Amino acid sequence: MSTKIQRLAEIDRVIHEPARLMIVALLAAVEEADFQYLHQTTGLTKGNLSAHLTKLEEAGYVAIAKSFRGKYPLTICRLTERGKEVLDNYRRVMKAAL
Amino acid sequence: MNDATPRFLEESPDAIAGRLMQKAHNQDGLPEIAVGLMFLFVAGLQWLQVVFHQGSLAYKAANLGLMLLPAPYFGSLWAIKMVRRKFLIARVGYVEFKPVNKKRIWAVIGIAFVVACAMVFAIAAKRLPPASWLLATTGIGGGLLAILSGRLPRFVVGGVLMAVAGIFLCLIRVSLEMGFMILFGAMGLLSLVSGCVVLLLFTRRPAEAGE
Repeated sequence: MSTKIQRLAEIDRVIHEPARLMIVALLAAVEEADFQYLHQTTGLTKGNLSAHLTKLEEAGYVAIAKSFRGKYPLTICRLTERGKEVLDNYRRVMKAAL
Repeated sequence: MNDATPRFLEESPDAIAGRLMQKAHNQDGLPEIAVGLMFLFVAGLQWLQVVFHQGSLAYKAANLGLMLLPAPYFGSLWAIKMVRRKFLIARVGYVEFKPVNKKRIWAVIGIAFVVACAMVFAIAAKRLPPASWLLATTGIGGGLLAILSGRLPRFVVGGVLMAVAGIFLCLIRVSLEMGFMILFGAMGLLSLVSGCVVLLLFTRRPAEAGE
């Protein structure tokens, strides 16, 4: 039991943050989504969402493709294989420990 | 962050994603409008079967229409996607869903099976005519599906009303066609009005341009 609890210390801190976990959980349930959809669905502010997406991209958990839709910027986000692995691992550790 | 934060800590990531996506899916009222139109279409076909005698061209056309119901259903899914992409994308954003949600399909099959079993059992018990039980189980099954698939207060209200309407029609012993016409007509109208109100409120929300 104690070893399971101790595994909580190994949890990935990038994904453990509630807003980032929400983004990753959402992206795990879809093929891909744009910034606007994530903004509408999560209820995060645009600045907050942008900062969290940057952190997830830097960690290699989310792939971001930027382009334009007309004159507006279009940011498509997709969970990477690494992101899926980290989310699965996070889920396993949390289930086992709690 | 919004009010999702406290609940977020108590739910699994899958549950959170499911809840948020469902909320996003229903935020513009388009699915309700589509369901409302489908229900009114079915009610219209049932009306034809009430008004015209069996064997008439209109009656046969209504039967054919009921058999071809999957076509407008799949057509409505396509239409919702197109309307969103063409007119609402700046507000709702773009999302590409994964192809099949097996859990949901099994849940729907499970509910249909339970409702069918309940109906067979009730008919075998011979307390009421089969048509009455069919109306009751359609109302209850449809109501349950609305609650499970919508997961928002307005869908819970709609689902409960559909179940109550089904039971009421069962108890007053109307004919099957008349019962379906009333049930689908009333629920279709309710769904259409609710969807239009949600869409109106959604489009009146100030849009934020850019990212």
